[in-house]
Amino acid sequence: MASTRLLRRRVPYTRLRWSEVPTWLIGMVFVAAWAAPFLWMVSTSFKLPSQVMTRDIEWIPREVTLENYAHVLKYPIGTWALNSLIAAVVSTFLCIVFSALAGYALARLRFPGRQVIFMIFLASLMIPPEIGVVPLLIAMIRIEWASTYQALILPSVANVLAVYIFRQFFLTFPRELEEAAIIDGAGPLRIFRSVAMPLARSPMIAATVIVFTLNWNNFLWPLLVTFDDGMKTLPVGIAAFAPVVGTHTQMEGYAVAMAAVTLLCIPSVTLFLVLQRYFIAGLSAGGLKG
Amino acid sequence: MTTDARAAAAETSAVAFVGRSKIDWAGYLFILAFAVPFLLFNVLPVLFGIYVGFTDWAIIGAPEWVGLQNYRDALADKWLQQAFVNVLLYALIIVPGVVVLGLAFAMFVNRSWPLSGLARTILFTPNVVSATVIGLVWVWVLDTQFGLLNHYLGWFGIGPIAWLTSSQWSLVGVSIASIWWDMGLGFVLFLAALQDVPKDLYEAASIDGAGFLRQQLAITLPWIRPTISMVVTLQIISTMRIFSQVYVMTNGGPAGSSASVIFHIYQTAIVRNMLGYASAVSVLLFLAVLAVTLLQRLLLREVSHG
Repeated sequence: MASTRLLRRRVPYTRLRWSEVPTWLIGMVFVAAWAAPFLWMVSTSFKLPSQVMTRDIEWIPREVTLENYAHVLKYPIGTWALNSLIAAVVSTFLCIVFSALAGYALARLRFPGRQVIFMIFLASLMIPPEIGVVPLLIAMIRIEWASTYQALILPSVANVLAVYIFRQFFLTFPRELEEAAIIDGAGPLRIFRSVAMPLARSPMIAATVIVFTLNWNNFLWPLLVTFDDGMKTLPVGIAAFAPVVGTHTQMEGYAVAMAAVTLLCIPSVTLFLVLQRYFIAGLSAGGLKG
Repeated sequence: MTTDARAAAAETSAVAFVGRSKIDWAGYLFILAFAVPFLLFNVLPVLFGIYVGFTDWAIIGAPEWVGLQNYRDALADKWLQQAFVNVLLYALIIVPGVVVLGLAFAMFVNRSWPLSGLARTILFTPNVVSATVIGLVWVWVLDTQFGLLNHYLGWFGIGPIAWLTSSQWSLVGVSIASIWWDMGLGFVLFLAALQDVPKDLYEAASIDGAGFLRQQLAITLPWIRPTISMVVTLQIISTMRIFSQVYVMTNGGPAGSSASVIFHIYQTAIVRNMLGYASAVSVLLFLAVLAVTLLQRLLLREVSHG
């Protein structure tokens, strides 16, 4: 992963030459445009509803108010957030434990069929999960698991991308470290637990942030499998603030909607800002998005 | 660990450290934990879905075998035809948008100017938020009367365009939001690829008097072609499966003008309870994605050889 190393390195920036100033300025205008929707979202969320639909664009609210946030909290946002958190945390935790084990085995242990199993995992990435969504939903309804935590959690546990990240890491893991433990008589599980995992911090963080973000943002499955309001996840619950979505729409105006999505952004954006380099390293290694 | 195994291990290590000759049976146990949810929730539903596609089934009762009837119905379904045309149009707008912008931004940020670290963060951030955020923020930005985009387009005498409420523009409106959402991944992959291009190639080229544009065409593009091909493939696959932003932004409308195939599946399965039909459509979508992906791979290869 040469790319990872380079992304991590802090490149000392070279001073701008005069001839480069125009290029730099144009580029930065585009970057600013890229940030604009986020800034506009936050700005709108603090505006008085009466000052939102205006002909002039006011980036800084004339009067800052928390009214919209208070309004959002009248909905069961707390419950939805808790549902999202439980579902995403449990599912991510299980995924990381299982994927680390599988990734380690695929890279380091020798047993017949190892390559075949890995190929099957990779091939499964080609098949869109949507083919399975309807039958899975029926199964969940039949066994009366619709609108339960296990229905939200279990289908997203097996994420092949995480296995891939761990396998790639363990392929380059120095064998000497394991050999010492083998001489001491440690079995595969003990080597995994006390030698391999403690040194696998970076793939673990990379896989965790990526899988957690995917789970936190998951939309289609929670939308299908939750029938009562109290079991909705945050993205599905807040989607009802859209002005067009079918029968469950609760149009409250843009100011309230922007407050709702600002709240929804906070966990994943914070996670990304704090662990940015792991995020980017994991994605570049996988070259895949779930 | 038994004494036997310890002796065996010691023996192996005494011979050479090239690799253990014995079979690690524990490997199967290690895989098992992952394989169980993988088979139950990833593989089995897909196989069952293919079967359900050949049946007539509303949730109540047992599925009834109808052979290819669902597929015949699907081919005659006007709404589905429109949905397939729509996903191809989505791909034609979003894929080039993501590739061109992602590559341009990656080239820009790759040069370490002032603020390029901040730029990198800004450019990737939309990729980590949920479809609900993308959908709601862009419904507001694309608002016909008071939206940000129409306001600034007005400076150039354009508009106001009814981005999401007219059937000519709704697909374009959803595409703009999708490019903003998806570009980050391509951008990061391009950036990683650009950083692997050997710097001395550029030095040699500039000694030979090649300008910036020539260097990009002669060195950068050939070097990162595999990455371009990968980003195009990934983006085609994800774009043809577009759903959540459509659901949030337009609910497929007006008059189905922005409906995607998965949106159609959602409607027939959930709203109209036609499970067999919906499953058949998802198989058709898979085949379409596969066909387009293979075609694209073939075309990109042709271009490189030509």
